[in-house]
Amino acid sequence: MAGAAERSKLQILVEELRFEYPGASAEALSGIDLEFQQGMLYALLGRNGSGKSTLARCMNGVLAPGSGRVMACGLDTSCEAGRRAVPATVSMVFQNPDTQMVASTVEEEVAFGPENLGLEPDVIRRRVDDALGLVGISDLARRQPLRLSQGQKQLVAIAGALAMEPTFLLSDESTSMLDYSARTRVLELFEKLRGMGIGVVHVTHFLEEAALADEVIVLDAGTVIARGTPAGILTDPSRVRSMGLDPLAVTVVAYELGKLGHSVPEILDVKELLAWLYA
Amino acid sequence: MALRLKLEEISYSYPLPGRQEAAALDEVSIEVAPGDIFCVAGANGSGKSTLAQVCAGLLAPTSGRVLYGEESVYERGDLRGFRRKTGLLFQSPEDQLFADSVRKDIAFGPRNHGLRGEQLTEAVEKAAELVGLSLEKLGDRSPFSLSEGEKRRAALAGVLALRPEVLLLDEPFIGLDYEGREHLKKALSRYREDAGASIIVVTHELSDIWPLATRFTIIDVGKVRRFEERADLLSGDVDINALGMKLPQWGILARELLASGISLEDPADPRVLAKAIAAHREANRGR
Repeated sequence: MAGAAERSKLQILVEELRFEYPGASAEALSGIDLEFQQGMLYALLGRNGSGKSTLARCMNGVLAPGSGRVMACGLDTSCEAGRRAVPATVSMVFQNPDTQMVASTVEEEVAFGPENLGLEPDVIRRRVDDALGLVGISDLARRQPLRLSQGQKQLVAIAGALAMEPTFLLSDESTSMLDYSARTRVLELFEKLRGMGIGVVHVTHFLEEAALADEVIVLDAGTVIARGTPAGILTDPSRVRSMGLDPLAVTVVAYELGKLGHSVPEILDVKELLAWLYA
Repeated sequence: MALRLKLEEISYSYPLPGRQEAAALDEVSIEVAPGDIFCVAGANGSGKSTLAQVCAGLLAPTSGRVLYGEESVYERGDLRGFRRKTGLLFQSPEDQLFADSVRKDIAFGPRNHGLRGEQLTEAVEKAAELVGLSLEKLGDRSPFSLSEGEKRRAALAGVLALRPEVLLLDEPFIGLDYEGREHLKKALSRYREDAGASIIVVTHELSDIWPLATRFTIIDVGKVRRFEERADLLSGDVDINALGMKLPQWGILARELLASGISLEDPADPRVLAKAIAAHREANRGR
């Protein structure tokens, strides 16, 4: 059984999870069963109010389950001790980096989490240097966070999350306020983290970002309505719309081509469509 | 009916104490005609929000002129009168909802402008109808109980209730899901037709505005790169990525097809794209 216990430290298990905000007319989550493995990139999709952010908050112990269970890297978030320990191993970044900056220099900002863990100063120093290097912003270490661009601030927030040396990184729409270059940097970083064995769960409204994931999970009204590979979930535009999502342009064009008698294989990007066209 | 809004060589620098001033706008000239849905696209920090505030009469440029019709609004012009003709929907406007009912929130602006009684009710109802919010269902609810998409539309209704001739929106699509964005796009089209207004949308993300905008311009660190038509953005000599932006998938596909010599009558219509692709594939097979 040691093997199973070891494995459970590397995954997040969500079982029959229900959650209701006080005074709300309906449950935010009504019976979620999912498992997340390290070294995988997940895209969590769904319309506004579908429960994506609530699920993410339950996964890093900000919220306690109403009923059911979340085992995050072997820690049970039903008890307070578990919830307090989870953020050290399941870190989270949010949409607006402005609301996440507390310190007067980037390195102090990144050190904030490890300091709260009560680590030795030399360990904190190493973690901060590693996180800044990993994100590629070592040159910003002495800068004031509030003087940085939105994209740089979000990278600082991510470095702060990574300085916790987490097993999982949760991103709650962390790319939505970023422009193309900053967004590309963040998405490349997610792929790098996946390669290093960190599990990344990215909440997004952009299907082009979801297409990069290993697995897509779609929530609606607090339940999982679809789960599978991007090609399996995202290529049928009418199904995508019915889930409250904006279908990818190439899938709409492929659908129109189908109506004209051309059968196009499951494609998610322009290159694949052009490859088919010139095959 | 709106008049022509013309920015002539507008510059603006934010004063930074003890440092060299940082130019947010550098001799920007644009012209927005009545009925335009004018997209100002730019990367983070490009100066586009500053530009929106100058257009709204809220920020006097360091140099250059803003003309509304014949009137230079920041010099000798009636600045207060101009401000009443413009409406600005800020980023995340739902953070600014405050009244205890949706109806009262929408009524706040027109009430401040002196509307009362039936006129006020009419302004509120009309605005709610334009954004597709049912006052019967939602009018008495707290704005905080609405969904994100409904909140954003309620905030927009509050701006539209003032019947601005020039409507400015700063990143209106951020954080909204597909349905929320579709509702918002419909509301903008309806308002443009209903009021003959000019609409200026400031964004870092071209995908939502792509089918909607009648004209496009890109701002790059305070300087305007002039592209007027959608087709101008698709020509091979423009490197959108180098400007910190990305064409939406629609645009990338259309650009690739155009580059292969496939002509497209409307590069934003999926049926047009599909027909062009089908014709090209059949022609290739026939060879």
